[in-house]
Amino acid sequence: MRRLHPTVSFAALGTLALLYLPLLAVVVFSVNASRHGFVWRGFTLGWYAKLLQDEYVLELTRNTLVLAFVSTAIATVLGTLLALGMQRFPWPKPARFAMELVLQLPVVTPDIVFAAAMVVMFGLLRLAWSIFTPGLLTMIIGHVTFQTAFVALVVRGRLALLGPTLDEAGRDLYADRLFLFRTITLPLLLPGVVAGALLAFTLSLDDFVISFFTAGPTSTTLPIYIYASVRRGVSPEIHALSTLIVLVTVFLVLSVERATRYRKE
Amino acid sequence: MRRATATALAAALLAALVGCSRPSSEQGKVLNVYMWSEYIDPQIPEDFESQTGIKVRVDVYESTEDMMAKLQHGGAGQYDMVVVSDHAVPVLAKLGLLEPLDMGRIPNAANVDPRFKSPGYDPDNKYSLPYQWGTVGLMYRKDRIPEFDPSWAVLFAPDKQAGPFVLIDSMRDMLGVALKYLGHSANSVSLEEIRRAGELVLAAKKSPQAVGFEGGVGGKNKVLSKAAALAIVYNGDALRAIEEDDQIAFVVPKEGSIVWVDAMVVTKGAANPGAAHQFINFILDPGIGGQLSNFNQYATPNLAAMPFIDEAARNDPAVYPPAEVFSKLEYLEDVGDATKLYDEIWTGVKSQ
Amino acid sequence: MTRIVVWYGQLISRPQLYRRGLLLVCSGFAWLTLFLAVPLAILLVIAFASRSAYGEVEWTFTLENFRRMLGFGALGWSSNTLRILLRSAWVGFVTTLISLLLAYPLAFFIAARPPRTRYLGLTLVIIPFCTNLVIRSYAWMLLLSPELPFAQLAQWLGLVPHFGALYPSAAAVYIGMVSTALPFTVLPIYTNVERLDWSIVEAARDLYASPWRVFFQAVLPQTLPGLSVAIILTFVPAMGMFVIPDLLGGAKYWLVGNLIQQQFGASRDWPFGAALSFGLMLLTFVGIFLLRRWRAEGELV
Repeated sequence: MRRLHPTVSFAALGTLALLYLPLLAVVVFSVNASRHGFVWRGFTLGWYAKLLQDEYVLELTRNTLVLAFVSTAIATVLGTLLALGMQRFPWPKPARFAMELVLQLPVVTPDIVFAAAMVVMFGLLRLAWSIFTPGLLTMIIGHVTFQTAFVALVVRGRLALLGPTLDEAGRDLYADRLFLFRTITLPLLLPGVVAGALLAFTLSLDDFVISFFTAGPTSTTLPIYIYASVRRGVSPEIHALSTLIVLVTVFLVLSVERATRYRKE
Repeated sequence: MRRATATALAAALLAALVGCSRPSSEQGKVLNVYMWSEYIDPQIPEDFESQTGIKVRVDVYESTEDMMAKLQHGGAGQYDMVVVSDHAVPVLAKLGLLEPLDMGRIPNAANVDPRFKSPGYDPDNKYSLPYQWGTVGLMYRKDRIPEFDPSWAVLFAPDKQAGPFVLIDSMRDMLGVALKYLGHSANSVSLEEIRRAGELVLAAKKSPQAVGFEGGVGGKNKVLSKAAALAIVYNGDALRAIEEDDQIAFVVPKEGSIVWVDAMVVTKGAANPGAAHQFINFILDPGIGGQLSNFNQYATPNLAAMPFIDEAARNDPAVYPPAEVFSKLEYLEDVGDATKLYDEIWTGVKSQ
Repeated sequence: MTRIVVWYGQLISRPQLYRRGLLLVCSGFAWLTLFLAVPLAILLVIAFASRSAYGEVEWTFTLENFRRMLGFGALGWSSNTLRILLRSAWVGFVTTLISLLLAYPLAFFIAARPPRTRYLGLTLVIIPFCTNLVIRSYAWMLLLSPELPFAQLAQWLGLVPHFGALYPSAAAVYIGMVSTALPFTVLPIYTNVERLDWSIVEAARDLYASPWRVFFQAVLPQTLPGLSVAIILTFVPAMGMFVIPDLLGGAKYWLVGNLIQQQFGASRDWPFGAALSFGLMLLTFVGIFLLRRWRAEGELV
């Protein structure tokens, strides 16, 4: 297509390298047969084997997955409803402004302030009702709060793309609202919803800051565990664990790509 | 149709996952313990479980301040037994986070060395029983620093800095060490003395040779992996490292240092205080006490366990310091209102 | 008289329409209000409270925390906290700048590929963004450690002491920040670059403009919308980061995120942490406000 100045291409490739070099390093060291330090001592899959036998890690994986599934489910429902409500109704300017503001809050607030606010609020709620001790519930609440905004964002984008024409055509043919929604809107919306859900799932899986502040002793997740290990001194099992997590993330991202790409054109 | 199947599948998967996580919440059979990392032989909780049928979960922390933050804000009820530093016991008691010990359920308490019975930080052992004790000192690599004047100056005096070093990420320990170097008490409540100690630590941190702050275990691992040549650690961490690499050595500098006792406490609101008491009793058993100290290379406060300790460890001055070293060691105490001063100066040190 | 409107092909009265809409959005907004807006408000209240000797929150209201933020601590005035706040803004600024410099070539590179490969290119950019921040940060710790070639090169050049690593240092923090922020920067710019009106660029070239002028006057203005989004998405998170300065900066290079984290953790000083949080929010809003002003001015031109 367009010819690019070689410096531009070089810079671009260099930047891509910058993005992938660290991940590559982790993968390489996950198969390095050396306990401490970074001298190459031979290829081994031993660390992966050790990892899979570690009961604690398996429990953490379960925590991380449960958290991700539950929070994604709730956030997808809330986010989709929000998107539908915001996009498809003729709200007056001030109402629209207020809604946009509230929806922007999770994006504009730095992670740590968000987490701090949650900690403070749960601290107060705990005085009233002890169910709010740091644990799975508080983590789910934290995750859903930031996931909802992202899901709403994605679904709104999709809704904007769809526009009112199909609905109007359907109505011209005397379809009632429920039928319209089920047969036309929902299937067309689905790729957006799925993309939003997958995005929310990935965000939850990889979240660290919110989880760190809202976790309890029995609900530690993998990212928190990795952070604590890094502070103590990284071990090759952590490299193996990280490589696996990266692979899962790659798989999920590729799935999102397929889900959105398919119907877009 | 496809959607319905997909939703059903997802629901089933979810139910399975949630169902799987149920068993661990059976409260009666689980004991939640919170202690320093790498502090207990993994065999010990297993032995406890096979004896009593109670599963032990060990959660770890890297600094006293982190532990206190966690307990203060919702964590106390989630752990049954916690191993805390001596100076933290009165603070936690004042905050109402500790349950007095029921000595009737801990017959092995009689095994404790009289030196550690009814200590200053916990008169009459109302809330705690000792777990291990040890010292704070310097761990270094002989292959990087062959000649070494055993003084804290190797960290604080720019002309004496001999290699990359790691400071300890513990407010009282680090500031205490600096205070000792300056010739003051590690329990000083004088603003001037604490401030000077803080400035010293800050200058050390800013020097090009400083690698950063780590907990004892973190510092030990950095020296092991050759990322640093020196680290402030607790003596047991250093001794375990020496087992792995004989180029490593440990010393208590001549200006003096800190001696500490870690104590076992039961939290208020613990889900399983009975199991906590049982576990404390188990730890104080002579054989278990020996096993524990042989693993983590710390000194045991359990007199009855002494015969079970490796001979090499019993005679090692790094584990059981001789009298002349001991005279220069100081216990950390609760400094009351001055804690706020330490906190602020420590924040300053960490953040500048 | 209730007005009847036609909405999405349906004949309906306005109030009925609003009621339906409200039904849809109320769940989501209730959640967000309860678990986001309210906590932030509570945080603001706590910023005015005090801390007891042992780290509990005391409900004695005072401006002490804000004074501390401006530097007036128990040890007299120190510029420490202000420096950290300003350093955070500076780091955000530099990160954004470097990311932009790297993002443009990358965006053009991807746009220049045939359409099929473009998706691949975009996915390649997105993947690191979706990976765990902690993993990426400690991966940089690996790369910058003493035994690897990068650090050894720096040692040889005398930039670091012998046996030293390239972290903890300011440079390491910037590297980590940029590599984390890049995907956020590239994507918005790419959306604009893809739809670039090349006829303007060609016109500029026809008029014998130098490559720089072509870029700044034909290309850049067209990418302005994407650019402003990119700046917000890069600048805001960069200021509030704490994982990267923590792992790559050690205790040597703290940002306000680390300070806040310490207050909610080891220092057990929630009121001060809350005050700092609002200091950060303030910086964020100032940044966004300035950006909007700049963008508005640009649009007038």
